[in-house]
Amino acid sequence: MGLDLAALMGILGLTGAFAIVGAVLAAWMAWRIVEKAGLPGWTGLGAVLLTLAVVSSIVPLVLLWVFAFMRWPRDEPAGAAPGYGGAAPAGGPARPAPTRALAPPAAALADRRGWKLVGGLPGGSVALAIDGSATAYVLTGAPAAEPTELSVPDPSVGRPHARLLIAAGRLGLEDLGTAGGTFIDGARLSPEHGPRDISAARAIRLGTVELTLSRA
Amino acid sequence: MTYVVAWILGLGTLALLVLAIAHLVVALFLIIPTWRICTRAGFSGALSLFHLVPVIGWMIVMAVLAFSDWPNGEASPARR
Repeated sequence: MGLDLAALMGILGLTGAFAIVGAVLAAWMAWRIVEKAGLPGWTGLGAVLLTLAVVSSIVPLVLLWVFAFMRWPRDEPAGAAPGYGGAAPAGGPARPAPTRALAPPAAALADRRGWKLVGGLPGGSVALAIDGSATAYVLTGAPAAEPTELSVPDPSVGRPHARLLIAAGRLGLEDLGTAGGTFIDGARLSPEHGPRDISAARAIRLGTVELTLSRA
Repeated sequence: MTYVVAWILGLGTLALLVLAIAHLVVALFLIIPTWRICTRAGFSGALSLFHLVPVIGWMIVMAVLAFSDWPNGEASPARR
């Protein structure tokens, strides 16, 4: 009988030791997890202590659900006031949600690179650099007479043929009403269309000359 | 005698079955929120299936969440 009692006490002691170690570990890990979510660490510790105080209730379950579906300060925009106060896993009514859960994207840096138009001609090739030093360029079939004229020496290209416009890192194209026509990725650009943004276009056709648009 | 043994075996099987089902139900109530926590942290939601492991399953999930870097980012120390 004495042996049985000792064995029983041993098992109880083992269970108790396991429970204590588990509780300490749980408190430590809960502290770290809620901190990663942006809540103060003591809320995690408090949740575990509360769980221990009301053993075998649904309290830990409720806290887990609240924590899983609540708004985490981590997801708030950086400028928001960190007024999370007591809205921890320990409950409390959720405060009004912010307008967005994720921080707004950083403003995109303007792409300062220039553009280039490359294509083949019956008697050679043509490569035009659009560096953005001017706000408008004229595409012409005649030899370039000015810095803002870009020559595409081909009989099907008008003199002038089209106008390139540069504004705020974007490239525009305007047809000047020629017989050969201007095409953006295969679609006809008419003079009445006015300038079209071709920043995302790949292929420009002037008359019969195919040009590939890319960033310089 | 045979009846008694069969009775005991049957009872035991029933008890095990009930225990297993109860365990699954409790695990399900743990897995659903944990799945969401894991995905919000950037881990696979399947990590929460460790709750199916009896006794130490919850410890494994918590340890992974507590001691690894969250792929989806953690709150900066200044905001804690």
